[in-house]
Amino acid sequence: MLYWSLKTLFSEPVRLIVSALAVSVSFLLVVFFSAVFEGESDKMVIYLEKMQADVWVMQKGVSNMHMASSMLWDWKADKIAKLPFVKEVSSILYFNGPVKIGGKDWFSYIIGIKPQYQRAGPWKIAKGKRIPGVGEVVIPEVISQLSGVQIGDEITLVDRPLRVIGLSRDTFSMASSVVFVSHEDLGELVKGRDQYSYIMVYANPGISSQDLIKHIKNEVDKVNALSSEDFINSDRTLAMQMGAEIISMMTIIGTLLATLIVAFTAYSLINHKQQELAVAKALGFSDGKIYIASLFQSVVITAIGLVLSIVLAYTILSWLPTVIPQVNLVVRPHQFISIASIALPIAVFASFAAVRTVIKVDPMTVFKG
Amino acid sequence: MEIDIIIKATHLSKFFGKGISEVHAVNDVSLNIKRGEMVLVMGPSGSGKTTLLSMLGALLGATSGEVSIDGLDISTMNNKELAALRATRIGFVFQSFNLLEALTVEENILFPAQLNTGGIQAAKTRLDNLLDRLGLATRRNALPNTLSGGEKQRVAIGRALINQPDIILADEPTGNLDSHKGQEVMMILHDIARDDNCAVVMVTHDPRVEEIADRVLWLEDGSLRDRKSEKHSWVKDPVCGMRVDEWTATITTEYNKQRYVFCSKRCLERFNSNSEKYKKSEK
Repeated sequence: MLYWSLKTLFSEPVRLIVSALAVSVSFLLVVFFSAVFEGESDKMVIYLEKMQADVWVMQKGVSNMHMASSMLWDWKADKIAKLPFVKEVSSILYFNGPVKIGGKDWFSYIIGIKPQYQRAGPWKIAKGKRIPGVGEVVIPEVISQLSGVQIGDEITLVDRPLRVIGLSRDTFSMASSVVFVSHEDLGELVKGRDQYSYIMVYANPGISSQDLIKHIKNEVDKVNALSSEDFINSDRTLAMQMGAEIISMMTIIGTLLATLIVAFTAYSLINHKQQELAVAKALGFSDGKIYIASLFQSVVITAIGLVLSIVLAYTILSWLPTVIPQVNLVVRPHQFISIASIALPIAVFASFAAVRTVIKVDPMTVFKG
Repeated sequence: MEIDIIIKATHLSKFFGKGISEVHAVNDVSLNIKRGEMVLVMGPSGSGKTTLLSMLGALLGATSGEVSIDGLDISTMNNKELAALRATRIGFVFQSFNLLEALTVEENILFPAQLNTGGIQAAKTRLDNLLDRLGLATRRNALPNTLSGGEKQRVAIGRALINQPDIILADEPTGNLDSHKGQEVMMILHDIARDDNCAVVMVTHDPRVEEIADRVLWLEDGSLRDRKSEKHSWVKDPVCGMRVDEWTATITTEYNKQRYVFCSKRCLERFNSNSEKYKKSEK
């Protein structure tokens, strides 16, 4: 009976492909939103990653950059720089808020940098200068493309007009891009000209992050120090938590959609083959055996849909950001593992749609000429 | 003698509907059918032939009365037991063949074998024999949509025989075949009854089969009756020239205010495609 159900399924390839594609699209929907959040989360921590610091020092009680605020006196950066085991420090003033570019507000991580801390500036420049001076700003290239703002044009940070002097790459995200200004401009805005928000600490070779953290906490009062790995994880977790509800909702919607599609397919297949089911019943196949055949068809459709969604995800979702640069998508295997784990329940649940039809099939219809 | 009886129906009735709309499809029918016997169930349309066949084949429960298959009262069996009985003791042949479209000839024949002891593997030898016997050896991998009507019906017979049943129930097995193919199928069923000691019960309108049947049961208004000889009205099929009983024929048409009777749908189709020619040749 299983062989019959498989052959029946494959004897109508168009119906099978359409059904499997529909299932894969609903799975893809789940993957898409998950990929958006993964991609956005990656971009939200890209500044932290690109700085490659060993340890991040921040105000006591702060453990994030995303949606956080931290203030440290500038002498603390000098003190840390003079500590043994410390090779170098690089400090930034930081503020997150909207920047008006081309008449539109772009929520951004605004990094205020001093000329001596060049390392804290953009890591890849598409056009123009890298380090902004007073009254200058470096914005992401993608924002420039989307807003039409070019080098030499003005943007507004709160009430302060700044002239674009450079376009950076790899710094755009839909939720929060990275914009670079001078420490002086940002310092005036946040009333913190003699302050930093975060101090990046680079250790001498052979010194572990944990030893360095212990040392900093012992020597410098009222600071928190985290290894780069912990700091990045903390920010990524926060970013994912913010999207968790939306991802869960999209997973539920995608799952329901996939269940409906598989159910409809299983139901229409069974309906379409009612005469053959009547024959099977007349020949002595029980309702249970016929239902298992229908369940098997649902499982096969779901499995093909799952495989198709993986193929489509890696092709379409990898290609999409090249066409729509503002979309950051990251497809990772774990996204499919969660879908695969719901695929079997989907198939089982969807096959229930066919139960009534299977029971209803009257073997007497075999006598209709 | 009793030991040879494979089907025994006692005061079998089947009513549909209730009150004034109640229909007595089968009314108090009693019969015995022996192994190796070929029995025809004939009668006018709507006389209850298919309903009777369904009850004998454990597909339809009776309103009253009993059916015993090889001494087992099927009215006491549950659905699962009835399904098992159909799978192993009864083979079905239908007018519209009812082959599974996605399966090949070989797979169609083997389809019910999975319900029998030993499964498909044990049925493989029987399959080869059946394919040879039914002249289907060269068509074993063909799909139903590539087969002729006669071939389809032979596949259906193969499927009915694969589990070596005691009974073959055939509902109008020649209804969709031309006279030549119909004759061929009849002879196969006749041989099955004779060689396999299998009871063959066939519902048919085809009066030519009477010549090879052991017994004819005449069903009228749901009851078995003696058929009166005057109820025969032999006419010629205008297309193939075969003898057809006008009284029982179901494939008929009217042309130029005259009634024409056919042995098969195929002859009717031919007639419809060139009625003038056949009308003239009839004269």
